Amino acid sequence: MEVSFKSRLIKILLMLVERPQAFNKPMEKAEKMWGEKFTSAENDVTIVPTGCCHDCGGRCVLKAHVKDGKIIRFETDDGEEPQIRACLRGRAYRQRVYSPDRLKYPLRRVGERGAGKFERISWDEALDTVAAELKRIKETYGNSAIFLAGGSGNQGILHGPIPVGAMLQAFGGFTRTWGSPSYEGALFASMATYGTIRTGNSRDDLFKSRLVILWGWNPANTIWDPETAMTLAKVREKGVKMVAVDPRYTDTVTTFADQWIPIRPGTDAAMLIAMAHVIISEDLQDQAFIEKYTVGFDKYKEYLLGHEDGVPKTPSWAEEITSVPAEVIVGLAREYATSKPAALIAGWGPARAAMGEQYSRAANVLTAITGNIGINGGYASGFMRAYSSRETSSGTRGSRNPVEKGAPPRKYSLHKLRGGTNPNSARIHFSKVFDAILRGRAGGYPNDLKMAYVVASNFINQFPNTHKGVEAFKALEFVVVHEQFMTPTAKLGDIVLPANTFMERTDIAPPWLGSPYYIYLNKAIDSLYESKSDLEISLELSKKLGVSHPMDSATDDDILRFISSRRSDIRDYEAMKQDGVLKIKIEEPVVSFKEQIQDPENNPFPTPSGKIEIFCEHLEEMNNPLIPPIPKYIGHPESYDAPLAAKYPLQLLTTHYKTRAHSIWHNVPWMREVEPHAVWINTIDAKERGIGDGDLVDVYNDRGRIRIPAKVTERIMPGVVNVSEGAWYDPDDQGVDHGGCANVLTNDDHSPGGAVHVNSSLVQVELAPRR
Amino acid sequence: MSQMGFYFDQTRCTGCYTCAVACKDWHDLPAGSVNWMRVRAIEKGTFPNIFVAYLILPCCHCADPPCVRVCPADAILKRESDGIVVVDQEKCLGQDECGGPCLKACPWDAPQFDQVDNAKMQKCNFCLQRLEKGQQTICVEACPMHALDAGPLQDLRAKYGEVSEAEGYAYSERFKPSMTFNPKLWHKGD
Repeated sequence: MEVSFKSRLIKILLMLVERPQAFNKPMEKAEKMWGEKFTSAENDVTIVPTGCCHDCGGRCVLKAHVKDGKIIRFETDDGEEPQIRACLRGRAYRQRVYSPDRLKYPLRRVGERGAGKFERISWDEALDTVAAELKRIKETYGNSAIFLAGGSGNQGILHGPIPVGAMLQAFGGFTRTWGSPSYEGALFASMATYGTIRTGNSRDDLFKSRLVILWGWNPANTIWDPETAMTLAKVREKGVKMVAVDPRYTDTVTTFADQWIPIRPGTDAAMLIAMAHVIISEDLQDQAFIEKYTVGFDKYKEYLLGHEDGVPKTPSWAEEITSVPAEVIVGLAREYATSKPAALIAGWGPARAAMGEQYSRAANVLTAITGNIGINGGYASGFMRAYSSRETSSGTRGSRNPVEKGAPPRKYSLHKLRGGTNPNSARIHFSKVFDAILRGRAGGYPNDLKMAYVVASNFINQFPNTHKGVEAFKALEFVVVHEQFMTPTAKLGDIVLPANTFMERTDIAPPWLGSPYYIYLNKAIDSLYESKSDLEISLELSKKLGVSHPMDSATDDDILRFISSRRSDIRDYEAMKQDGVLKIKIEEPVVSFKEQIQDPENNPFPTPSGKIEIFCEHLEEMNNPLIPPIPKYIGHPESYDAPLAAKYPLQLLTTHYKTRAHSIWHNVPWMREVEPHAVWINTIDAKERGIGDGDLVDVYNDRGRIRIPAKVTERIMPGVVNVSEGAWYDPDDQGVDHGGCANVLTNDDHSPGGAVHVNSSLVQVELAPRR
Repeated sequence: MSQMGFYFDQTRCTGCYTCAVACKDWHDLPAGSVNWMRVRAIEKGTFPNIFVAYLILPCCHCADPPCVRVCPADAILKRESDGIVVVDQEKCLGQDECGGPCLKACPWDAPQFDQVDNAKMQKCNFCLQRLEKGQQTICVEACPMHALDAGPLQDLRAKYGEVSEAEGYAYSERFKPSMTFNPKLWHKGD
């Protein structure tokens, strides 16, 4: 199925080094030394354009320098603007590919599951075992007992969970999750308000804004695409004021913000609601816009003024909750309402919390009542930016997975809308999978799960409540894992299959959420050891299962060419392949909802009312106080002021880390030395506990305990600690995790709309016991 | 001769360390050994009035480099053609042998010694082999924020201005480091 390797590559022979003239004796020696070192070596180096496409958001250009079948170093994009330059993660890729820890052969567990003892077996034996177990589970329990634990570790088209899902579908179906740990709250809110997830304006439009608010958004570390941070820098340099609202003084605050407003985690909705109160109290709203394009403003106003519950949502009310001084809330509200056009970009992080839908809804509604939607320089806060080379799925239109066929919509889903999250009730919310494995149908879940097929996912590490995850995986009858490394999840496998890396296969990576480019990943080297691609494994396993895989009998190139032909923005497949990147020229900034605003008669919003829904009837019909029809501030059992806070007084954040894309790169030495994994704790909280910078501390709650160094810093507000997600779970005999996996501590509840509660986890911190 | 140097826009640096990692990849330097390019995080003030900046530290390729002066073996050389300071590792006596006076003399700790017996000095060589092919240094090519530039110092100064100090970086009149900056300033009380 592989087409000729050579035909895929662009061979660039490097020019011979020309030595500069020497001036005198010692100088000649100095120059000769360096000249000689690189002349002969460069002749047989081939540069292969490929990329780095994990789930950080960026899909970036890497040019692999290959010599004798081995990558010796990388360069990145030095071509036309905007350049898609890889960050430190991409630049460290050699230490992933050539890590001594790469899984080399198929492995079979010996001893207890999770003990981490394996023996080498052949591919044939490994796939025979997996096929036999799949058949046994299917015959004994039905296909719904097969759980596909597919993750986002691979963002290509041909590999990761896609070919495995296709195989399992052909085999009669499987159970999967709904929701995303990253954005489910934001997505739900975007759908409820606008009826779509295509919101916001393209980055280049920020030059037209008079004010930019970066709310819980850290694109300096979370690479949305290389263009985002670069554009923010240029917009700042142009003199546009930027305000950041965040419990941490992030690298984004450091680099771009003129003003930092630290806010207590989980209370963002209260501040946004109070800002709306200021705006309507001072009559600063865009009344004409509200009347023409929205529904339900009056009902929101009733809530804001306290007519509904007797509590006016004033800045003083919000100060109590958020810890943001009332005058700061008033100041920002006035500035936002009077600096039109202004861009309020509400990140996903604050929506990765209990009632996260409310924060996102409140932000979206604030952009609506100020009329900052559908105009240049404005920004319809919501799920993502307007341009997308990745098509959004039709979502609600059923399923071809036999296990899901005919299942009614989930109770609290926005099933009346097109797009968004699939509302099929046969799916299990990702944060409840561990609970579902342990309790099954008897516990109210749609299916009894008996085996997990894990691909492109460090599942137990990256989903909330890791200890419950371990318990759940131990309760399964069979676990198969595709992996590159012996991750905490792979350790729980019965059969572990070595997967290759981007460098060892061909693929296309469309960018994350709507940057106008594609990365074409040319295969740079042959697969190392006995590793295979996810697609190869799926095709071989399909044969053993006796099913016809839809991606069989075509070459990788054929499939990629076919997929490309269906995307209107890929006009020249061959050129994309040659260059390793396709940058799509956009004539002018993309402004979401421009048509809806300019010609509302002919372009209704894709909501049931055809308007922006400040009041959402679809939500009202759900009749659930935790997902009200207008955005509200709602407390929960792990709020800063909940009774549990007496025992666990610190609020935990589990942000992204600059040296990892989720759990990927954790084991890369170049990354570990950049900024070692540590818990951020404010000086005041540290002092109270006798903790000094660098001290080993325990962060714990009833769910578990991790032991990592403390980073004592002023960059996080008192009362809040941060353990970035993605460090690998490494428990000792007592269950204390020395790896520092944030999910050992995280809350595995979810809100009705799907918002995950990971950033709503209360903890305590203390010095680790001395040895 | 035209002295080569670096420009660093401290206001654009997000502290991502891409320059440092790209340097390690290009020059094949393992983790835990030497850092030809270093990034320093600077944090000042008390919550909520705080200031954070990052500073890059390659070799500053001084006009009058102290490391060259103090080397007992004349192993450190300043190229006359472009002012780049290079090390002849064959001549270098090694840190155990000579005690590393070059490192002690450098205000910015540019000379690097690996954790091995009698390590020979190594440091940023301005990507000489790339320079000779007309390419930029790997750190400049890597920076996602385009916060770095390298080239003849007088050209950099003409293009970006002549600012020799930045947050965390003090100029030395004696050594004349070949650096120019767009420094980040702390506007207290803003």
